[in-house]
Amino acid sequence: MADGGTTEGKGIGARVLRKEDWRHLAGKAKFTGDFQRPGQKEMAFVRSEVAHARIVSVTKPAGFESSVFTAKDMPDMQPMRAPSKMPGYKGADYPALAIGKVRFVGEPVAVCIADTRAEAEDLAQATLVEFGELPAVVDMLAAKAGDAPLIHEDWGDNLVMETFADDDFGKIADRATVVVKREYRMARHAMNPMEGRAVFAEWDDRTDQLMMWTSTQVPHLIRTGLAQFLGLEQRQVRVIAPDVGGGFGCKALLQPEEVIAGWLTRHLEVPVRWIEDRREHLVTGANCREHHYFVTIHATPEGRILGLDCDVTIDAGAYSVYPFTNGLEGAMAHGNLPGPYDIEVYRCRTQTMTTNKPPLMPYRGVARPGVCYAMEMTIDALARDIGVEAHDIRTMSMVKQEQLPFMSIAKKHFDSGDYAKSVEMVVDMIGLDKIRSEQISANGEGRLVGVGMGSFVEQTAHGTSVFASWGVAMVPGYEQATVRLTPDGGLELRIGVQSHGQGMETSMAQMAYEVLGIDPSQVTVTHGDTGLTPYSTGTYASRSMVMAGGATARACRVLAERMEIIAAHLLQCERAEVTVRGGKIVSGKGEVSFAEIGRVWYLNPDELPDDVDQGGIEVTMGYRPEPDSGAFTYASHACKVAVDIDTGEVEVLDYAIVEDCGTMVNPMIVEGQTYGGATQGIGTALLEESTYDSFGNPGASTFADYMMPGATDAPHYRIDHMESPSPFTEYGIKGMGEGGTIPTPAAIGNAINDALKTIGAEVTETPFTPRRVRAAIAAANKNRQGDAA
Amino acid sequence: MTELTLKINGEDVTADVETRLSLADFIRDHRRLTGTHLGCEHGVCGACTVLMNGEPVRSCITFAVVADGTEITTIEGFEDDDPMTLLRQAFHENHALQCGYCTPGMLVAARDIVTRLPDADEDRVRLELAGNLCRCTGYVGIVNAILSVIEKRRL
Ligand code: FES
Ligand code: FES
Repeated sequence: MADGGTTEGKGIGARVLRKEDWRHLAGKAKFTGDFQRPGQKEMAFVRSEVAHARIVSVTKPAGFESSVFTAKDMPDMQPMRAPSKMPGYKGADYPALAIGKVRFVGEPVAVCIADTRAEAEDLAQATLVEFGELPAVVDMLAAKAGDAPLIHEDWGDNLVMETFADDDFGKIADRATVVVKREYRMARHAMNPMEGRAVFAEWDDRTDQLMMWTSTQVPHLIRTGLAQFLGLEQRQVRVIAPDVGGGFGCKALLQPEEVIAGWLTRHLEVPVRWIEDRREHLVTGANCREHHYFVTIHATPEGRILGLDCDVTIDAGAYSVYPFTNGLEGAMAHGNLPGPYDIEVYRCRTQTMTTNKPPLMPYRGVARPGVCYAMEMTIDALARDIGVEAHDIRTMSMVKQEQLPFMSIAKKHFDSGDYAKSVEMVVDMIGLDKIRSEQISANGEGRLVGVGMGSFVEQTAHGTSVFASWGVAMVPGYEQATVRLTPDGGLELRIGVQSHGQGMETSMAQMAYEVLGIDPSQVTVTHGDTGLTPYSTGTYASRSMVMAGGATARACRVLAERMEIIAAHLLQCERAEVTVRGGKIVSGKGEVSFAEIGRVWYLNPDELPDDVDQGGIEVTMGYRPEPDSGAFTYASHACKVAVDIDTGEVEVLDYAIVEDCGTMVNPMIVEGQTYGGATQGIGTALLEESTYDSFGNPGASTFADYMMPGATDAPHYRIDHMESPSPFTEYGIKGMGEGGTIPTPAAIGNAINDALKTIGAEVTETPFTPRRVRAAIAAANKNRQGDAA
Repeated sequence: MTELTLKINGEDVTADVETRLSLADFIRDHRRLTGTHLGCEHGVCGACTVLMNGEPVRSCITFAVVADGTEITTIEGFEDDDPMTLLRQAFHENHALQCGYCTPGMLVAARDIVTRLPDADEDRVRLELAGNLCRCTGYVGIVNAILSVIEKRRL
C-alpha cells in the first residue's frame, strides 16, 4: 500500500509555491490571443445597436461581400440549444448570429474577416443594418406585466421558469410573533476576467479536425457543443484551452463567437482569430447577478428564526446559454435562500424573466451572493427591530454541529462543520465590542462607523444526482484522471478540468505527492486539452480539487500497486513487503526508483514478472464522492466601514474572514482564492453595475463608467481557518473557489446599515454607491420629518 | 504608413507602420512579444504597461509612431535587471498572481514603484497601484510582494 509522502511536506496541507508562476513572471505564458499563423484572418462583429428589433436588411460594404457573413450565409450553423427538464421551462435558442430579430444590444448580427483586426473593424463599421425597432423590455419586474412586449412571441409571456415551494406558516404563528419584511435588488454586472474571451481556430487537414484554442474553463463541453451546432462528429473537434486569464463563469459556456469561428475556419480554410475587447465584454458580457427579492423572516421575540418567505425575480436576459441554461440561477436561489439556518417553514417562489439584455450566465458563487445578501440583510434588519446583536440571531438559528449531517429545509445535505463557531470567531476577530464603544463615543456627525457580517454555507463539488435534479442537458458523472509514469520515472498527470488561476498545476501535483511521494517538480500536469485529457464537464461549481483531485489520488494508488508488483519482482521479495514511499518503492531488501520501474516497463520488459498488470504504468481512474450531494464549505465575513453622511461615500476600514473548506490542500491557494473572491464581492457591493436606459441601451461600456475594485478599494484582509473534513470526499476536501464572493455584499451592506441605524436609513440596492447611500439618508430624513409633522 | 525607428529590449528596430497602429499591437503582433497584455485598450487596467525611456506608459493608448526614437522595455526585456529579479521572486513567494494575465503589467508598474519610492508604505503602494487592475488576487499578494522588495532594497 502506498503511503506517499515523506516529512518534507509537499503534499496535502503544504503551502507549496506554484509551479505555474514562472512563465507568467517571465512574460512567456501563452494565452489564446498570443497565437498567430501566417494567412490568418481576424474577426470583428457587427453587433446590434438596439435592444429589440426586427432585422430589416443588412447591407455589406461594396466589394467586400465575401468577407462579411450573416446567419443567412451560414445555413448549416445551428442556434445553440440548451434544454432543461425543469417543469414549465421555456428556454430560447441562442443563435450565434441573429436570425430575423435582435434581442439585446451587442447581439452579433454579422461577422467580418480581414487581415488585421483594424481592417475587420473597418468592414464592420461599413456594414449597414437596418432595424425595425420594437419596444424593449428592460426591467425584470416590468417584464411580468400583462401588456409587456413579448421578447419571444411564441411564448405568450416573458416567463422563463417558475419554482414554488409552500408551507404552512400556521405551524409557527403563535411562536413567530416578529415578522420582518424587506425588498432588495442586486444589480446586473459583468464578470470581467482581465483576459476577455478569445478564440483561435484552424482546420487541421492531417487529422481532419477542427482545432480550436479558446479561452475557456470547459474545453470538453465546448467540443461537444461545437460538434452539435456545427454538424461535426466530436472526434473531428479538438479544443485546447491554453493559458486562460480568469474565467469566473463566463468562460464555462459555449460562446457564439466560438461557434462562428469554427464555421469560418471550416468553410474558408483559413485560420481565424477573435479577441474580445473590453467594450465588447462590458456590453455583451453584462450578464450576471441581477436579482430582485422580497424577503420575510418570521422569528421569535428573541430572534430565533422559524420561518422564511421569499419572492425572487431573476433577470435572465434574452436567451438560454449552453449547456447550463438560464434556469440554473432560479433553482440555485430556491435551494440556497435558507442558508445555514435551521428553520421550520419555508415558502419561496422564484420567477425567472426574459428581458432585452445579454443572456444571464453563472458568475462565481452563482445565485448565492444574491440570496446570501437578501437573507443576511434581513437578519440584521430583524436584529435592529428587536434590539439584539445580529450575530446572536445567527448562532441561535444556525444548524448545530451535533445535528450534522443534516438535511436542510431546502433539501441540502450538509456534511460537516460548526457554522456558529465561525460566527463567534469572526465577531471576535473584527472586535465587535470595541467598535460598539467607538460608536457610542462618536458624535454622529460626518463619518459614521458601522460593523456588519454575512454567513453562508455553500454546496460545492455537487455531482450527478444534484445536476440531474436541475434537469440540465449536461450532468457531471465520474471525474477522471490519468497518470502515466515516464521512462525516466517522472509523472504525467492528465485532468479534464481546466486551471485558469486556481493553481492546479501545483495542487494536483501535491495530490500525487501525497500518494506517491514524488516531488511536485517531477510532475507535469496537463489540463484543458480534449485531445490529451479524459472527458470532463470542466471547471465550475468549486468542483475541481474535490473531483479531479480525488480522481488523481485514486489513479495514483492504482499506479502504486502496479509499480509495487514490478518492484517486488526486481527485489525478489513478496509483494506485501514493498511499499511506495517518498517517490521510491522500498522494502527491507532494498529499494527501487520510479526511473527503474519506467526503464523496465518501457525498455527492458524482459525483466518484468509474469503477473505484471498488462495495463502497464499508465492508469485512468474515475471518482465521485459518495454520496454526491456535495461537500459544504462555509464561512463568516465581518467588516467595519465608515460612511460619510454628506457624500455617501463608504470606506471599508477592516475586513475579517473565517472560512472552513474542509481539508486544505494548499492553504496559500485557499487564501488567494478567498481574497480574490471577496474583492469581487466588494465590487458587487460598492462599485460594479451595468446600467441601462429605458430603451435597453447599456450605459457602462468602458472602465471609466464601469468601476472595478482596485488596490485602494480592497481592504487589508485578515483570515482565519477552520478545518472540518467532509466525510464524503477523498481526504475530506471541500470546494472553495467561489465562496469568497458570497457573503461580501451582505457583510458590507449590513455594516452600512449599522452605521446608518441612528438615522434610520437602510440601503437595499447594490452597488451601494454614494448616490444610493445619500438617497437612503434623504429618505430616512424625510420619513422622520413626516413623522414629526 | 510611417517609418519608425526605436529600440525594443535593447534591439534596434525599424518598421513601416500604419499611423493608427497602437504601440501594444506593434509590440504584440509585429514584434511577437506577447508578454505585454491587453486588458481594456482604453488606458485604465494597466495590463499593457511597458517602459518608454524608463518611464511606465500604457502601450494600448500610445501610438506606435509616438515611440519613434525611444527605448522601449517590455516584460521580456528585464533579464538582468536587479529590481525585476527581486520582484519576480517576491511575486512567486507571495502568491501575487493567479491567472497571470495582469502580471506583466503589474511587474512593470511595481518596478517603477520600488525604484521611485523607496520609502513607500502599504497605503502608498496601494495608491500607486490604482492604475493596475487585477481580477484574481484581491491585491493581497501583490501589495505584500512590493512591500517586501522595498524592504529588501533598503537593507
Ligand atoms: S490595456 Fe492598456 S490600460 Fe488596459
Ligand atoms: S492574476 Fe488574474 S488578473 Fe491578476
